[in-house]
Amino acid sequence: MTPKLRITLISREKNLVDHMELRLESKGYHVLKLTKLSNVLGFIYSDPPDIIIIDLSNDDSETRGIIKSLKDDSYFCIIPVMGLLKESVEESFEWGNYPLDDFISQPVKYPELFNRITLSLQRIQRVFDNNPLTKLPGNTSIQQAIEKALGNPMAVCYIDINNFKPYNDTYGFASGDEVIRMVARIMANAVRESGGGFAGHIGGDDFVFIVSLEGAEAVCKTIIDNFNTIIPDLFGDEEKSKGYYIARDRKGHVQKIPLLGISIGVVPTNTPKMQHAGKVSEMAAELKKVAKKSNKSCYVVNKRTY
Amino acid sequence: MEDKRREVRHIVRNVKSLPTIPGIMAKLNSIAEDEKATVNEIARLISSDQILSAKVLKLVNSPFYGFSRRVSTISNALILLGVNVVKSLILSSSIFELMEKNVVGLWEHSMGAGVAANVIARRLNLPEPEEISTAALIHDIGKVIIKIELKEEFGNLISLIKEKDMSMREAERELLDTDHAEIGDWLAKSWLLPEKLIEPIAFHHDVEKSLTQPTKTSAVHLADILVKASGFGFSGDDFVPKIHPAAWAKLGLTEELLEGIVGEVEEKLVEVKNFSIEVQSTDDTQA
Repeated sequence: MTPKLRITLISREKNLVDHMELRLESKGYHVLKLTKLSNVLGFIYSDPPDIIIIDLSNDDSETRGIIKSLKDDSYFCIIPVMGLLKESVEESFEWGNYPLDDFISQPVKYPELFNRITLSLQRIQRVFDNNPLTKLPGNTSIQQAIEKALGNPMAVCYIDINNFKPYNDTYGFASGDEVIRMVARIMANAVRESGGGFAGHIGGDDFVFIVSLEGAEAVCKTIIDNFNTIIPDLFGDEEKSKGYYIARDRKGHVQKIPLLGISIGVVPTNTPKMQHAGKVSEMAAELKKVAKKSNKSCYVVNKRTY
Repeated sequence: MEDKRREVRHIVRNVKSLPTIPGIMAKLNSIAEDEKATVNEIARLISSDQILSAKVLKLVNSPFYGFSRRVSTISNALILLGVNVVKSLILSSSIFELMEKNVVGLWEHSMGAGVAANVIARRLNLPEPEEISTAALIHDIGKVIIKIELKEEFGNLISLIKEKDMSMREAERELLDTDHAEIGDWLAKSWLLPEKLIEPIAFHHDVEKSLTQPTKTSAVHLADILVKASGFGFSGDDFVPKIHPAAWAKLGLTEELLEGIVGEVEEKLVEVKNFSIEVQSTDDTQA
């Protein structure tokens, strides 16, 4: 038996959610009703549903805040959010304020709602360029974000995990995936908490983030600090105190492999040489090579201004 | 009797939300709304409350994030969840409606145990001191469940403890056919908390049963006893149990070491006491 699809219903109107609950549950959905907006994010974060239906009949900042918070988070933005709209306001509705995935008119036509729910879920799976492991935007979005940064006082920063391959080989791919997810989360949170920017996942152990040139070094430091705080959790006490583990390398030789680290190459995009995205990634690859020479996690900024 | 145990277990599995005390929530709310609040400030405040700490750990270890029950400290949880997510979690938390002696006492006891465990871990140079403090902070979470979800039984427990001069745990065994340590173990497992935290919760009275985390369990056991002995907070009864020989051995304790630990714990508890008074005065102004 596949688990029931879980729908969160958000509206201050108790009658409305009660009625919708009845109809949705009769269709086999599992419904959580939230009538107090201040609780909504906490509930969704602690137990994420498959789809969210939110009442938009009051055009208020609290509702907008909820939708925006969800759509700004790389993990939660994949949950489809459907707006519930009064028919009378449909024509003049300010869609720009609401990053929604779909809407349904009120009074609700249930057969239509059921179809829209199904379609929303299908669409989200189809159109997402996001990396399935980390939910971060993938290469199409990264390319666009880099092009937007070119010529501006921004920095495109490439992250790569040191000694990832032997870790993956020794501890198994499930553990490797976890490291990838952790780095994604550390990076995305650091970018967001610095005031915003772009965070993407190229693939494998390669990531990109784009922030203002001014703030770039601080974000790099935060990411490295947080990485160094988290990563020991992945190793046993013995490895932690020694700083390495024993494994066979690709040629089958027994080797001391250092614990994981990260290298970041920082490419400022306001120099005349950086005129296309290809140039940026070329430069980043060079910088990462320099960063990798260090035994510890570190970042290297491109200082060449030619 | 077996039915009672099954009933309690069922209740634990269905625990959805546990309330926090109002004063700490008021502090957390103001920090959650403060744009400039640093990750460390938020982490420190969350670490003073067992319920919020447990909730944050539950969230970060949930399958949704895919970190397979590895995250066992509040600061790591904050790094991975991000400040925004944690702030929303705080803002949506419910609070105790009535501030009873037992609720405040239990909160103080857990906070005190966290602080004592930190002293023990540092003085004895134990690995993973932050995990040890976190485990100590939430070691009595089973008691909160009893207080919240089994209100009637809780009242009966208190009477029984008074009447027969029993320990909390003996009374729990008699009335519920289980005890707070086991209830805590059930909750921690159903919330998918890391193994590192589960054994110290489950075996803080039976150190010898802790097979994979004996050091952490011993440290939490000792922290629990030291806080009880200090008279700070209230964990349900006034008994101060003896330090288990297995914990002595595991921690390599000597009278001298213990004396040093006790001295520092007493010092640190003064600060905790002041913090508690501050938090409780926030309650008064709210009410």
